[in-house]
Amino acid sequence: MRYVRAFFGFWYDFLVGDRWELFTGPIVALFLAWLAVRASVPAALTGALLFALVSAVGGLSIAWAMRR
Amino acid sequence: MSSIAFVTVVSSFLASSVEFVEAVTIVLAVGVTRQWRSALIGVLAALVALALIVGIFGTAIVLLVPIGVVRLVVGGFLVIYGLQWLTKAVLRAGGARAKHDETAIYQREIAALRAEPPVPATGMDWISFTVAAKGVLLEGLEVAFIVVTFGASANMLGPAAAGAAAAGALVLGIAFLVHRPLAAVPENGLKFAVGVMLTGFGTFWAGEGIGIDWPAGDAAILALLAGYVILALLGVYVVRGRFGAARMRPFAASREP
Repeated sequence: MRYVRAFFGFWYDFLVGDRWELFTGPIVALFLAWLAVRASVPAALTGALLFALVSAVGGLSIAWAMRR
Repeated sequence: MSSIAFVTVVSSFLASSVEFVEAVTIVLAVGVTRQWRSALIGVLAALVALALIVGIFGTAIVLLVPIGVVRLVVGGFLVIYGLQWLTKAVLRAGGARAKHDETAIYQREIAALRAEPPVPATGMDWISFTVAAKGVLLEGLEVAFIVVTFGASANMLGPAAAGAAAAGALVLGIAFLVHRPLAAVPENGLKFAVGVMLTGFGTFWAGEGIGIDWPAGDAAILALLAGYVILALLGVYVVRGRFGAARMRPFAASREP
């Protein structure tokens, strides 16, 4: 059990760490872009949307880190 | 060599260089304070484990998982991982976070190792073996992650592994020659560059995975990379304005702890 906990703890630290927004943000961004694809939004716009959302996640994380 | 293969080699090489520099600091500390032979056997064991991880997981992903799923999942992970590196590099370049200091890490590692029981007169020193193997394995897992994800998404596992191997050979070779931590490597600059690459390629592949038919095909990668570079530099400018680090050279190696 200790090893299982350590295994998942390692991957949690590796991918999420102390900045959970950088893990959940891109997932939300991809989900919103997928909705745009499903709604037949033109590819150029969907691509730009994904880029903007990912950039916003990065910007938000930097802003939060500066406040901490 | 195609442009994608070239970029895969370069990305893997740069990302791996950063991690190998960190691993080399630990191995040097162990070798200098305790026993080189056991430390190097530990390094070898860790490298074999990493090669197996890349070989098994990389091949399994490439052969068994549909490319669309690979690009979505792996692209998503690349974005997550790339953003972690990039935002950290922006914060460091802007002065909001202390930069990585290999010399300070080396001194701390040496102090910790000196507190351990003495090296046995004969045979293996398991402390040297364990510390060196663990250091290389943990730092190397990040390399393996990048090699497997990058290689699987672009179907370029070979070039990605070659880039990592070249970085390992170069860093280990230099460390062997100079016998001290590689503090002059502009680690933050490398992390900035790799963060941009991982985020850019991750966005492209994850986008393909959810069905985005990128205008101009692969050339869209260049637009994404350029966009992220511009925004990241803007981020450095903003952070620097807030933390007043204008006198610092943003991507140079630094000595502060």
